Amino acid sequence: MTTTRNPGLEDPTDVRAIPRRSMGQTLLASGTVMALVVLIIFFFAMRPDVFLGFTNVRNILYQVAILAIISGAQTIVMVVGDFDLSVAATSALAGAVASSMMLGGTPVPVAILVGLAVGLLVGLVNGVLVAYLNLSAFVATLATLTSVTGLAFLVTEGTTLFKMPAEFNNLGQGRFLQIPLPVFIATAISLILWALLRYTTLGRRWYATGGNAEVSRLSGVNVRLARLLAFTVAGLVSAIGGILLAARLGSASAVQGEDNLLFSVAAVFLGMTVVRSGAANIVGTLVGVAIIGVMSNGLNILGVNSYVQQVVTGLIIIAAVTLSSLKTRER
Amino acid sequence: MTATDQTGTMTPALEARDIVKRFDGVHALNGAQLSVRPGEIHALLGENGAGKSTLIKVLTGVYPPDAGTLWRNGEEVEFHNVRVANRAGIVALYQELSIVPTISVAENILLGEQIPSRGGVVQWRALRRRAREQLDRLHQRISLSRLAGELSPVQQTMVAFARALATDARVLILDEPTASLTDTEITELFSVLRSLRDEGVAILYVSHRLEEVFELCDRLTVMRNGETIVTKDVADSHIDEVISSMVGRSAGELYPDRTTVTDEVALTVADLDGRRVKDVSFTAHKGEVLGIGGLAGSGRSELLRILSGAQKHIAGTIRVGDKTLPHSPGVGRALDAGIALVPEERRTQGVILGSTIRDNIALANIPAVSSFGVVDGARISDIVHKGMADLKIKARSQRQPVGELSGGNQQKVVLAKMLARKPKILLMDEPTRGIDVGTKAEIYRLIRELAAGGTTVIAVSSELPELIGMSDRVLIMHEGRISGEVRADEADEEVLLAYCYGKADSDDHDA
Repeated sequence: MTTTRNPGLEDPTDVRAIPRRSMGQTLLASGTVMALVVLIIFFFAMRPDVFLGFTNVRNILYQVAILAIISGAQTIVMVVGDFDLSVAATSALAGAVASSMMLGGTPVPVAILVGLAVGLLVGLVNGVLVAYLNLSAFVATLATLTSVTGLAFLVTEGTTLFKMPAEFNNLGQGRFLQIPLPVFIATAISLILWALLRYTTLGRRWYATGGNAEVSRLSGVNVRLARLLAFTVAGLVSAIGGILLAARLGSASAVQGEDNLLFSVAAVFLGMTVVRSGAANIVGTLVGVAIIGVMSNGLNILGVNSYVQQVVTGLIIIAAVTLSSLKTRER
Repeated sequence: MTATDQTGTMTPALEARDIVKRFDGVHALNGAQLSVRPGEIHALLGENGAGKSTLIKVLTGVYPPDAGTLWRNGEEVEFHNVRVANRAGIVALYQELSIVPTISVAENILLGEQIPSRGGVVQWRALRRRAREQLDRLHQRISLSRLAGELSPVQQTMVAFARALATDARVLILDEPTASLTDTEITELFSVLRSLRDEGVAILYVSHRLEEVFELCDRLTVMRNGETIVTKDVADSHIDEVISSMVGRSAGELYPDRTTVTDEVALTVADLDGRRVKDVSFTAHKGEVLGIGGLAGSGRSELLRILSGAQKHIAGTIRVGDKTLPHSPGVGRALDAGIALVPEERRTQGVILGSTIRDNIALANIPAVSSFGVVDGARISDIVHKGMADLKIKARSQRQPVGELSGGNQQKVVLAKMLARKPKILLMDEPTRGIDVGTKAEIYRLIRELAAGGTTVIAVSSELPELIGMSDRVLIMHEGRISGEVRADEADEEVLLAYCYGKADSDDHDA
């Protein structure tokens, strides 16, 4: 960009005095990214015929698409310094509401919109509890997690709903150019959230609030509104994930996608180790999601028992986070 | 003083000779010398970046020196880590006091290996007795079973001292111990320090407050650019000469000349009531520097917070020019109306330490650097560049984290953030707290320039010389009310102090 200012090299205030590290350099410098690369090399070496084949890569992407969406929701809340235990429950409720309405004859688009509205509402409630009633995020979202799960059971009457219209199921099961639709949707949502965090005033307010809420408030940022909006957006995005999950599975139950809560928190934590500032960020979260996805897929291919997979996933998280914190300490 | 007479032959309790310490090839210490005797309070002075903190860290085993030697009671020693230094009787207490707020006073005092136990079971009686002994040495009556977090700042300082004494510290290093204390608490602290000195403890005292040094210390050492400039008896020193050896040039006038104040009223405050603020009314003029003094807790900070929209008020009106602000406007609307606050606690209220200079300055200027909710990086670069150049912020780049800057430069970042809003009224709470003398002078000059340019500056300070030196007019608060008003060029410290204690007014009425 050309500016009229004096391009003196010794100018200490020059933006270019320290070249900004490119995203590629940043990623390579991170232990977490190394962990992902090592995992991929390892599984490739174990099963070179299968692991990096088109079908399997497509499988991995398909498997992580919904986790990527839920983790995007979690990222937003963790950017403002809170976290949301209700993301998975909210997604299940949204999926259940949309499905039950379709089974009742409501047109698919309307049912989806109502499902999204339900997610938005749950997020709004979380936001009011945390930002305006000053409950801790842990307590507030644990409470909504409980109530929302109860609501989902009421909506599904404790059963699994299925036989939704084909046009709905197609959203989760269809393909475009050989790639499953949820992969496109997850990519689009990640891009939108990334741009929201990076380029909008709302995103800057979110990061500032998470950095130091008091400083932000004294700088004129409406901190309460920022936190409220973060939870609300998270609720809405969770609902997208949940509705898509129902479409993918062709069914909806009150507890489906439960794993996504812990995995989403894990993915965001892994992602926080990717950047120097240690703040939650979408690119990092996607790296975290990829680690979790590659891991589970690779171990599946090797025929490892799924309980063992869970143990190993925990260990990988510890390893990646430890590596990164060691590096921070050196500085 | 007899102590000084004997000192010629006395072996230093701790001595550092020719200490060199480099970071990334840059000399933080370049042949630093320091010698602290038992039974003296020794001031370590210097601007931020002079190498004081690095030297302390070498003395306490945090950093190994690249060259040079340490001597304890005349024997050469090496401290590989903090624990080794502690065992040699050297303990540093830092600004952020190292107490654990959630456990009892007694446990804090004997924290670590010192807790007496039998087979892993805590011997509470022995613990309390030993903790009490240490507090008695400090003449403190603090309940041992209270949680340390419930104590006042000075009591917390005392608990930290008691812990140091419990480890049998013979060399005590204090870094800005008075930063969060009120005047009475400082008096108490000083009497404790003097009694420790009389017990033979060597105390190294780091402070930016020169008045304190002259009141308390026996000798002083001035550092500049990683070198020791001078060590001498405080009794033989003069404050101006100390300042000039700190800054490396003649101190000159710390405070710039006053400028003309216009008749135009910029701010009208009427009958303001709120938490700790009672029935406050005053006006401030365009181009005026209005100082506000008072004891800690007198409501001076709260007054600024209400004016800036950071704190709600119960009653009263605030008018900027002829526009009345809505009741309890909030920071956003107060900023829009032209009132900006540089808050008291820089590290927790002023800057986001982990964030870059750029993001910090942009924070208060989001509307100005964005269109339709999207931020424009080039516009941020421009205002940040201008702010950094105008205020001479020393940093590697816009993207350096603020936490890496010196206190003075952090304060300039807060100022740059607020000045980019072009405020009509700039409120500053303790504008030079914890800042070196050179940067202080810069800030005073800046305040004057702003006033000359038509800004109204309202600054709270607990240092009376600063209040008088930088202001055109001084208001003093006492228990939430304005207890006195003085023209700065006619003010003297005694009168202001009397107003601080709420005395002057009532004396008048009695008479």
